[in-house]
Amino acid sequence: MPRLNGKNILVTGASQGLGRQLALTFAHEGAIGLSLIARHLGPLQKVRDEVGEISKRTNVLAVEADVGKISDIERLVATTLDAFGGRLDVVVNNASTIGSAPMPFLLDYPLEDFQNVMNTNLIGPFLIIKNILPAMVENGGSIINVTSDAGATGYPGWGAYGISKFGLEGLSQTWAAELEETGVRVNWVDPGNMTDMCA
Amino acid sequence: MIRPFDFSLPNQLNAKEPPERRGIRRDQVRLLVISRATGGLEHARFDVLGKFLRPGDLLVFNSSRTLPAALTACGATGPCIEMRLAQHLPDDSWLALLVCKAGDPFGCGLRVGMHLDFGRDLAAEVLERDERIPRLWKIRFSKTGSELLDSIYRLGQPIRYEYVSAPWDLDYYQTVYAREPGSVEMPSAGRAFTWKLLFALRQQGIDFAHLVLHTGLSSYLDDELDRTHPASEEEYFLSQMAADKIDRARQRAGRVIAVGTTVVRALESIALENGKIKSAHAYTRLQIGSDHELKMVDALLTGLHEPEASHLDLLTAFLPAPRIKAAYSEAIREGYLWHEFGDLNLII
Repeated sequence: MPRLNGKNILVTGASQGLGRQLALTFAHEGAIGLSLIARHLGPLQKVRDEVGEISKRTNVLAVEADVGKISDIERLVATTLDAFGGRLDVVVNNASTIGSAPMPFLLDYPLEDFQNVMNTNLIGPFLIIKNILPAMVENGGSIINVTSDAGATGYPGWGAYGISKFGLEGLSQTWAAELEETGVRVNWVDPGNMTDMCA
Repeated sequence: MIRPFDFSLPNQLNAKEPPERRGIRRDQVRLLVISRATGGLEHARFDVLGKFLRPGDLLVFNSSRTLPAALTACGATGPCIEMRLAQHLPDDSWLALLVCKAGDPFGCGLRVGMHLDFGRDLAAEVLERDERIPRLWKIRFSKTGSELLDSIYRLGQPIRYEYVSAPWDLDYYQTVYAREPGSVEMPSAGRAFTWKLLFALRQQGIDFAHLVLHTGLSSYLDDELDRTHPASEEEYFLSQMAADKIDRARQRAGRVIAVGTTVVRALESIALENGKIKSAHAYTRLQIGSDHELKMVDALLTGLHEPEASHLDLLTAFLPAPRIKAAYSEAIREGYLWHEFGDLNLII
């Protein structure tokens, strides 16, 4: 039996790279519902079509939303829970922004750009988990936050991104501790370097 | 329906802001506890709720999520209208309150056939006036399902009443355990729960069950109509898992404690329909008052209700009206706060 048979899963940053690949793999593994989140609907609809080729029985919801915007988070959570009857099994917080390019030293980092990185990479995942949790507590579930080795070591030039990933790891640890007595697991994964397929 | 008693609410007892904006946590609001057996009153803070519960008791929550149910439509030539969603109907149309943004709230030519344009590709047509509640209109949106929900979230605001001090964000109108979107106003009796308190109650041996009842409007912005408070029809869902939990609680002599009048309405409707508890998905118009014999619910956690609210009638199913009146007089003397951001009342 496929490992994710009957599971409802939400993936952010699902229009390309790792998020897209996860969506296709989840469909292959039997997910019954996929809520795919990304900022641009066009590429997301292509992923939805790709999922449809893999699994006809997977209900795919494509939600155009920016996880860096607080108002978008309530909307993406509500549409997901409405589509899945209030039940969710897995959340993958994969959406991420690298920040200013070319990457400046922290010393030179524009405040607004710094805040935007924190909003997308740290505050967004916090709010998604906070809002989605009621749908997971009763039946248990799994939350996966995608981190980076820039969140374990401070590299010059990786300022806001690295700091946000340090924060995401701390967020994951705190959530995991607070949810210890529930059936909700919280993990963080550093996928390492991406190949072209996932980049 | 005859109101069980009358009183006037001093203006300073309207909770104008969420507790978190009054300098306390959401679970630090006040709790007025009324004993069903003796009518005795006790003043407490909500975060000690567990003191009044026993292992084996079951809290039943309404996990409906609040929609940003107020939308504004401005036609190119017509008036600007605020539309307050009231109820999603089985044929995918909606009942809604239409309010003119300027002048007489109902005097700007509201009529069947009106085209309402909300922007962002969302429009609606006014189909007919509701027969039971004449301030409501049946409307049909240009979108349905997830697309409509997406647009409502992009364009809507939470329904707010004049006593709140600021346009608080939608987040303030959600309980921490909210799941399925559909309520047009927050099922506010559960607003004070925090996850920390829920985990503590669980450790104490209190069990939880959830149902969904999408709330309708509490006011039609028409004093006369509000005074007659016709019960709106509300949709509810009870899962088999929740029904089993209620069944088990009753078998072990645990008390079924409804968190909110919506939960009482849903559970008592199911009891009337089936005679016993089992999963259900239906609509209810049940009005509960002193002549209603409670079949499923033993206790109620609720807010403090306005004199004209139908919820006040519902309380008389739990306690004789004079006892509720005495408790409300005490709540006013003690400065309890009313409405969705206010204090709470446990009748147990």
